[in-house]
Parts: sequence; C-alpha cells; structure tokens
Amino acid sequence: MKRIQLEIVLGTLLVLLTTAMVVVLGFREPQRLEQYVVQQRAELIEFGATVFTNNCTSCHGSLGQGVAGVAPSLRDAHFFTERLAEVGWQGGLEDYIISVVTTGRQISTRPQLYAGMTGQAPVMPTWSEKFGGPLRDDQIRAVAAFIMNFEPYALGLVPTAVPLGPVVDESTPEGRGQVVFAAQGCTACHAISGLSTGNVGPVLDGLASRAGNTVAGLSAEEYIHQSIVDPNAYIVPGFAEGIMPQNFAELMSEDQLNDLVAFLLTLE
Amino acid sequence: MINSLIKRFNIPPRDQWREAIGKLIDDRVRIITAGLSIRELRAIMRGDPPTEKPNPRYKVITTSFVAHLRPRYYPAAATWFTHTLRLGFFTTFFFVLEIITGIVLMVYYIPFPDQAYGSVLAIESNVFLGEFLRDMHRLGAEAMVVFSWLHLLRTYFTGSYKGPRSFTWLTGVILLLITAWLSFTGYLLPWDQLAYWAVTVGTSITESGPVVGPALNLLMRGAPDIGTGGLLRFYLQHVILMPLLAILLISIHYYKVSREHSISLPAVVEETEMDPEKKKEATRRIDLIPDLLSHELFLIALGLFITVAILYFRGFASPLETHANPQQTPLDTKAPWYFWWLQGILKIDPASIIENLVNPLFEMFGLSYRVELSRLLDSKFIMGLMVPPALVLLLMAIPYIDRNPSRLARKRPFAIAWGVAWIFIVLVLSYMGTPEYGIETPAATRIIQDLAPEEGEGPLRLIPYPELENRQMEYIVGQDYGTDLCPGLSYYPDPESHPNDIVVGCPHLTEVFQTFSRRLIDAQIDGRLPGLNAKLIVEQLQADVVKVTPHVEWTDPSTGQAQTYYHIYFLHKDRAMDAH
Repeated sequence: MKRIQLEIVLGTLLVLLTTAMVVVLGFREPQRLEQYVVQQRAELIEFGATVFTNNCTSCHGSLGQGVAGVAPSLRDAHFFTERLAEVGWQGGLEDYIISVVTTGRQISTRPQLYAGMTGQAPVMPTWSEKFGGPLRDDQIRAVAAFIMNFEPYALGLVPTAVPLGPVVDESTPEGRGQVVFAAQGCTACHAISGLSTGNVGPVLDGLASRAGNTVAGLSAEEYIHQSIVDPNAYIVPGFAEGIMPQNFAELMSEDQLNDLVAFLLTLE
Repeated sequence: MINSLIKRFNIPPRDQWREAIGKLIDDRVRIITAGLSIRELRAIMRGDPPTEKPNPRYKVITTSFVAHLRPRYYPAAATWFTHTLRLGFFTTFFFVLEIITGIVLMVYYIPFPDQAYGSVLAIESNVFLGEFLRDMHRLGAEAMVVFSWLHLLRTYFTGSYKGPRSFTWLTGVILLLITAWLSFTGYLLPWDQLAYWAVTVGTSITESGPVVGPALNLLMRGAPDIGTGGLLRFYLQHVILMPLLAILLISIHYYKVSREHSISLPAVVEETEMDPEKKKEATRRIDLIPDLLSHELFLIALGLFITVAILYFRGFASPLETHANPQQTPLDTKAPWYFWWLQGILKIDPASIIENLVNPLFEMFGLSYRVELSRLLDSKFIMGLMVPPALVLLLMAIPYIDRNPSRLARKRPFAIAWGVAWIFIVLVLSYMGTPEYGIETPAATRIIQDLAPEEGEGPLRLIPYPELENRQMEYIVGQDYGTDLCPGLSYYPDPESHPNDIVVGCPHLTEVFQTFSRRLIDAQIDGRLPGLNAKLIVEQLQADVVKVTPHVEWTDPSTGQAQTYYHIYFLHKDRAMDAH
C-alpha cells in the first residue's frame, strides 16, 4: 500500500474513533451535568459553612443555634416553618435569607427578644459589599445555601448530632454553670481552652486567678457577677465598651447566674 | 416552441446527452476544486500520476485563495519526520483548535468580576459538552506552549535559523512571546483564586520599574488592583488583540517558509557529500497535492484523536478553584507551570549573591569595608524587568551572534552545548519557581496545608464521607488508637456499580491521621514544634456536612510563647471525589 493510501485509511479510522468518543461523551453528558449540579450545590454549602464560620457565629452561635438576646437560632423549626409568615415575606426562604444578609436588619422585628430600635446601631449589619459590608454576592448565596441545609435538623427529620466537648456533670453548680455558659452563647465571644474559640471578648483562661485583683474593692466572685450583669462597669483594656449585651440579668435566673459564676471561678 | 428552447439553451441531440451532462458536472467540479476534474480527484485518491498536462494539481495553487498560501512542493528531505517532527504544524493546529473552542466559550463567558466565575461554573454545569470544551481549550493552550517551545528547540538544534531564515527566526521568537501572553491573559478569565493571584503576582513585577513602572502596572490592571477594568483589559487582549497579532505574525512566519526559503533541508543533505542517487531522492519534489495535503489531513485527524482521547479518558481536567478573593492571598501562589522558570528567576537576589561573594574577600584581607548592595539593586526590578527582556533579546539575536556558517551538529559543538545548557538552566529555574523551593512556611502551617491545601483536593478532602459521618471525635496526636480509628465501622463505597465492595473501618481517615501525627511528631523531635499538643477534631455540623479541624498548639522555640494554628474544613456528603 502506498503511503498516501495508508494515511487515508488510518486518518478515516481516527476520525471515526474520535467521533465515536465525542458521541459517547454526548450520551453521558446529561448525567454528568446533573451530577455536576449536585456537586456544585455541595461545594456551595461547604463554602457557605466557611463564610458562616468567619462572619456569623459571633451572633448566631458556632452551630447556628443562636445567642439569647443577640440573634435567633437558624436551625429551629420556627425559622423553617413560621418565620416567612411572621414577617409577611412573599418569596422563598432562601431568597429571604439572601435579602436579610444583603441589607441587614436596621430594626428588630422581635424587640422583646432581640435588641434593636430606631436610632440605635442596627440589630444586624448590612453584609453585602454593595452597602458597605464585607461579603460578595456569591458569598451571600453560599451562606444562604448553608443555612437552608439546616432544614433536616430543624424539622427533626435527622437526629441532631450530640455536640463535641467534655461530658458535663450537671449535679454540681460548676457543671450547670458550664451548660449555662454554652446555652447563653458566651462561647461565641469568649475563648476558654478546650471549650470555645470566640475572639470578640477577652480570653477567660485564668480568670479565677486574676478576677480578685482587677477592680479594687471587688472580690473575684463580685467582679465576675458585675461583669455579666453590668458589662460596662469595667472594660478590660484593649476592648470596647457596649459590645457585650447588657441584658443577661433578665435572660438568666438568679440560680443560673450563680452557677455561671461558680463555673467561671474554676478557670484557674 | 420546443425547438426554440432547444436552440436557445443549446441542447444537443439526444445521443450526445450523456457526454454533455458529464461535461456539465465536470465543469462544476473544476470550479469547486479550483481546477481538478473528477478523473483527477480519483487519481489523487488512488495515488496515481496526474491525468492531464500541464499538471492540474499546480493550477489549484494559482486559482484557489486557500491553496495559494501553500507551497507548491517541498524537497523530500525537508519533510522527513525526524527532521521537523511536525512541531510547527502542531503549534498551528492547536492555535486553530484554540480559536474554534474559544469562539464557542466566548458565547457563554461574561467578562465581569461579579459574573465571570458564575459563567464558568455555568459552562461546566449547564452547557452541553461545556466541560469538554473548556478542558479542550485549556489542554490546547498548554499543548500550544509546549509545541512552540519544542519547535524553537528543533530549529535551534538543526541550525535552521541561519542565513536567509534569520528573519523567520525573529518572527518565531515574537510568536513565542505572543503565545505566552495569550496564555497569561487567558489565565485570569475563570476569576478563581488561582487565576486572580497568579496574575496579581505576575503584573506586580512591572511595578518595580523606574518612572513608568507604576503607570505600566496601572495600564495592565486598569486600577491599583485587578477588578472590572483589569478583567476587561485581559479579556479583550485575549480574544481580540493577541489572536489578531498571532494571525498576522503566523502569516509572515509561514509566508517566509512557503514562498521564500522553504523548510530547511537536513544539514546532512545540504552540506555533506552524498551518494548522488540518495541525494536525488532527498531533493525530489513532494507536491502539495496530493502528498503534503493528505499527510496534513492525517496529522489533523491524529491530533484531534489524541486530544479527544486524553479528555475522554480523563487524563486532563482544567482546574477551577474557589471564587477570586482579593482579601485573601492563598498560601501557595503558583504561576502556570510554563512560567515557573520566570518565578524561579524572581527568587534570585543578585545583591545578596554579590555581597556573599565579595564580602568574605574583604574579610580575608582584613578590610573593614563591606559591600551593601541591597539598597542599590532592587532584585525585583533586575530579575523581573531587566533579565527576562534581556533573555528575549538574546534569543532574537542568536542568528546574528552565531556566525558559524555550518549547520552540521558536529561542526557547531559550542552552539549545541550552549543549547543543552540552556535546557538545564530552564529546568533548574522551573524547579526554583515551585513553592517547594526557597519559601519558608512554619511547620504547623505546612503540615496542615499539605493535608488539605486551601485550594484543590489533598488527602483530607479525599476521605470518603462515610468514614467521617457522625464520628464526633477528637483524635489526640500521640495517643494510641490501634490500627484503625473507627472500630465497628463498615460501609459500601460504591453501592450502585460495585454492590459487593465493602470497606471495614476507616482506612483513609486512619491514614490521614497517621500522616498528620507522624509529621507533627517528627517536627517536635527536630525542635520545630516543642511542647506539641495537637488533635484532629471531627464534628457533625449539619445532617450531611462534617467539620474537620486539624488543631496544633506548640511553644515558639525563639520567643517561648504559646502558639496555636488550626484550619477548619467542611466536607459535604455529595462533594466531588475526583479533582476538577
């Protein structure tokens, strides 16, 4: 066979093989597209989890459980079933989340639960970079996708995983105080080794040792009690006034408050 | 009436119809093929000699626009496979492939920062064969870079840049620059972290230039940082300016080859005494039609086949990282691999090299004077703005520096050695350009980053989801967990296509934890992480999302202060297991 004939035969064969491969890819394509969309949603949720962890946990809690007096839970049934009707939102929940995150919330819709009145700092700041916030549109969409993904937990379709951490002995005041510490959302702002990583307020490691000689005339117990019910009475150098909510006295019973102080006094 | 029609249309008598129709068809065919009859086409396909005189196959070259761009023939030896390796041909092949796939991608791509990344995602998730097209465009781009470099090397080693071809060499070097700039401008378009930071680092080189440096930087980026203006500038250069320049330069480059001096003959044929029979055979004419053309069509079929096969068997996937974030520089900012040598050059600091060479001499002779050049010599300016253009000028000047008239390898040992040395230099520089070389990363950061890079996959993200689901554990480094971290666990990794495959325990998680522990303990032993206290925390965050936190505490050896480094990763059940 002459070279030209060989090339014609081989070339034709190659073209046929190439076409066959493209045709096979074409047949597989609808399935691939479908799968890609699922994976894309998964990666969006992962990305949203990162955005949430970096921006939202100091008010909404590290697991989205909310912080009493500061911001609501994003993983309870109320949020997924009644919230839209409560505010009279016409669209879907994901759009609602995107809207709220984008523009923030100037005035609280539930002032009896969460502070935020006209003339005060907004109850939730605007998060979109279009309005002076730090987040891009795609980050806001991701965080909305992440919050929507709490639904199976919120509706009780899947049992919630038991949070990690040392087992607490609730028969002692210190143990009950630790539960209060987590339940009131203190973890969002205050770091304690092995328990929380919040970085808004002072680190509480070693608090028991230094509380007694921080403010003259106050014992360790009195100082800690005062710092919880009236945070602005004394501000640790390097931190700003008015950041810590001032209504913890109303949110906790006297027993809970005492348990919390007892727990904090264990932080040698 | 019929008679008048017959007369008017000049219709021949019935017995001549067959012949007349045949002539009509033949005329049409000759018009379409620019001069070839049906018989001639048949002869071409069969490899037979021309059927008419003068040879109608040459007529095509004067009558057809496309064919007139081509040579009438090449001497046989110039077409030997071992001589050209078809490198220039394949460079052009990939350029055309880039134009075709690029035009389709242009239909879907939106060159604005808010939407660019989303439009690339849409190409992958919502366009029929979109991923295939994007992968092909990326693969074609890299192949074009490779083939243009190989083409340059071949031309250098066969000495084909000499004599009448020196200007062709010059246009070739410019084409190499255009190819590099095409790939660099295209690199930004996906608008992911990889793209954004590679281009930010790349353009920052110009900033160090004197007087015009900042202005040049601004001109390229469109603003102090790359944003809407910068992306649009890169896009327009990528889809309009550079392709047009490339087409112009390719035309000039090719015209020189096809019309002026042809492909060089192998030096053996041109410069040595050969057996006259062999010489005659070597200089025999190989006509465009049919030999060159059929061979080129075959090469196109081969090139397409290999490209499609690589993509079909998933041998290549174009990367797409997370959305560009100007606020966050990734730990390992990496240029595309074909620019590593440039990044390697940037890591050389001439001032400190001279200081380290000269100052010991002063010391040896007991002089107290010390050379301090680091303030005088700006390393980024010299290595970034002076050295690369100097290298390009050197490349362009090769035909004028090398006055040796011979093209035979054995008669130009110096040029050959020089070429081989440069290949090594570029390889070493490329190695120096990788993030592994010359960049000190703190031990804990490096170990966690290797486990799970900020971008891309890494062993941690490849742990199958069932091994992490509802684990709720803190694995402490140094503690003995036996051979498997998950006693009692078993799962089916692929229940649909392999229903009988079962995995017992969690081999992937165990391996990741063991690697993590081993590297940390090694660092503790060699003194980089004293007072090590580390753990790997696995928590369930949502019904189908786990949170994995490698957490390292240590005491800083120099300051004695407690240090903490951790990174939080989220893994969704449906995440892609294969890199893309």
